[in-house]
Parts: sequence; structure tokens; C-alpha cells
Amino acid sequence: MNIHFLFELKSKYITREIGDELVLVPLSGNVAQMNVLFTLNETGKFIWEQVDGKNTKEDIIALLVQEFDVEAETAKIDVETFLNKIAATLK
Amino acid sequence: MRYSSKIAIAGFELSLNSEVEISLEEGYYPFKSQSNKTPDVEIACYAGISEALELGEAVFVAENESQRFYAIYQTGKELTFLIYNQQEKGKIQQLAVLSSDLKHWTIYTDLLSNGKINPLRYPMGPLIMQYLTVNSEAVMIHAACVTDGKTGQLFAGFSGRGKSTMAKIWKDVGYQVINDDRIIIRRQGEEFVAYNTPMYYADVPKSTVLRSIFLIRHFPENKIRKIEGAIAVSKVLAFCIQNNFSQSFIVGNLAFLSKMIQTVNVYELGFVPDNHIIDFVIDNG
Repeated sequence: MNIHFLFELKSKYITREIGDELVLVPLSGNVAQMNVLFTLNETGKFIWEQVDGKNTKEDIIALLVQEFDVEAETAKIDVETFLNKIAATLK
Repeated sequence: MRYSSKIAIAGFELSLNSEVEISLEEGYYPFKSQSNKTPDVEIACYAGISEALELGEAVFVAENESQRFYAIYQTGKELTFLIYNQQEKGKIQQLAVLSSDLKHWTIYTDLLSNGKINPLRYPMGPLIMQYLTVNSEAVMIHAACVTDGKTGQLFAGFSGRGKSTMAKIWKDVGYQVINDDRIIIRRQGEEFVAYNTPMYYADVPKSTVLRSIFLIRHFPENKIRKIEGAIAVSKVLAFCIQNNFSQSFIVGNLAFLSKMIQTVNVYELGFVPDNHIIDFVIDNG
């Protein structure tokens, strides 16, 4: 999924922060899709917060490396996994 | 109005007023209230269904493969509910308008053959109960709940997941069943209290302080896993009874559950339906 497309979709989710995690409830129109709600762990929540309409995918990978002290390859996999997970909820 | 009746559900006071005599299902009678407290919700009831009412924009339909239960329309800040008869397909049995503060219902309902009205005829009654929870720190949930008289265990699950089976197993060894299908949970100070609600059969009002929630399913062996944080909130939320067209309802439930999981433990529980599950839950839950 394109990171800028995801930014446009962010308003289509109700979110609730719980500690370091995030609950996401997708909306279809105005109706919450309770059968596909999901959670993000600390890493996923961080990535979600960096999707701000300005950061590119590469920017977010770099920010992840900086924040969590992980290898760039690991950060890249985390971002790809995150985007795939979000895309799966839209099917 | 000429006829007036009060009922108390989960500590909420409801007043019903009508020019026509009201006849409720037997499940509501044990919940009749003599309290002089200001009602939390006022329900004005009328015989006959107004056809002239502007319905507004359709925002939600509750239906399954075989039947439609109700449809919700938004007119300005008010909500209008068309409630369908569960025996005669397509027939409207009530038209109800809920004020923007969610505290005043106006229900237009069929006149019964005995000249009385039953404004809370299913599914209108449970719908009103559901909206009781929206305005306060409370949720209504698909669950059974049992208590030893001190604290309660709640077993959440959709139809066929074993709620009634679980309730019966605990009842058979002396636990009190709060209800085996539908529960309202309210925050009372630092505690979370589970209440039964009127059903189609008569049962007295009951409540218990909640200790644990188990998300149940039938399984080849007894198996338990504690869940916490966002996962616990999201999984319990899925069992809450709510109309999902309003973001504010979901936001409210998320806030409520976030607080609740700090006090009430949440587990996923696969179980074999025999009384070994009682010791298993007590030892591991």
C-alpha cells in the first residue's frame, strides 16, 4: 500500500491508545466494522503516527531505525508488514 | 398522561407514560420500580403508528439473512427507529423517536387486541436498554454471568459459543446465574458491576461485582490465555451490543473498556462442557 494513500485513509479509522498500543476500528461509510477491528503494538503504533502526509516510506524506515535501534532491513520488513496488515483490513 | 409505569434496569430509572393502558411482557414486571428518583429516561407512548413522520437519512439497519429487526434514520439530531414485527415479515410494529440527548423516547405502537399497548415489545425493549448505556459509563454485552455472591465471572460469546451451557454448569454447583445471554456492565466507583436485564421470561433483578471476563468457545480441552491491553479491549469490544453508525458510541465504548481492563482480568477460554471447567477457571482465572 502507498504510504500517502494510507494517510488519506487514516480518518476512516477510530483509534484508541492503550499504553504503548493502539486499537483501530475501521469505518465503512459511518459504520464501524467490528468484525475487522485490530490492534497495533508499540512498533505499529509508532509507524501509524509517522504516517502524516509528509513522511515517505523511506523516512519512516529511517525514523524506526532511530527510535528502536534496529537494523534498516528489520525496519523495512516492519513497515512492509504493517502496510500489508492495513491493506488486508480494506479487502 | 393517564397511565404511568416505572421500571429500573441496571440502576437506570425509566418512566413510561401513555393515554392508553400499558401491557408489558412478563419479564419486565420484576423490574418495576417504586422509586421517586428523577428518571434517567422518559418514554412517551402512543397508540397507532404515525405515517406522516419524516424519516430522514437511513444510517443503520439491523437484520440477518432471514429477517429485519429495525432500521434507524437520522433527522437533524434526533434518531427515528422503525421496529419490524418478528412474526409478520415487513410489518412495522413500532415507530420510535429518540431525542438528541438520548433521554426522551416517543414510541408509536400497535394497539393490541385487548385495547392496550406494549411499547417495549421485542426488539424495542432491548434497543432502549442498549441506548441506556450510551449516555453513561456502561456497555451491554453478549454474555453469561455467574456469581458466588461476592464476585462474578462473565463469559462472553456469540450464539452457539457455550454461554448457556457454561451458566448451567456453574448453576448446578450452586453459583447464581445473573443471566445467560445479555448483561449490562456499569462502572460504580472503582468497581465494574454486571446486571441482568428484563428477558422474555420473568427473573428478578440481579447484579454482581465483576472479577474476570472469559471470551469462550468450545474446544477439545480446557485451555486459557490471559490477554491484556489493546488486544483485550478490541476482543471484548467485539461482543458489545451497539449500533455502529455513530463514532461517538464506539469512542465511548473504547474509553469504558480501557478503564475496565485495569480492574477486570480478561482471558480467552476454550472449554469442554463439563464441571471440570469450574476448578480450571478458579485455579487459572
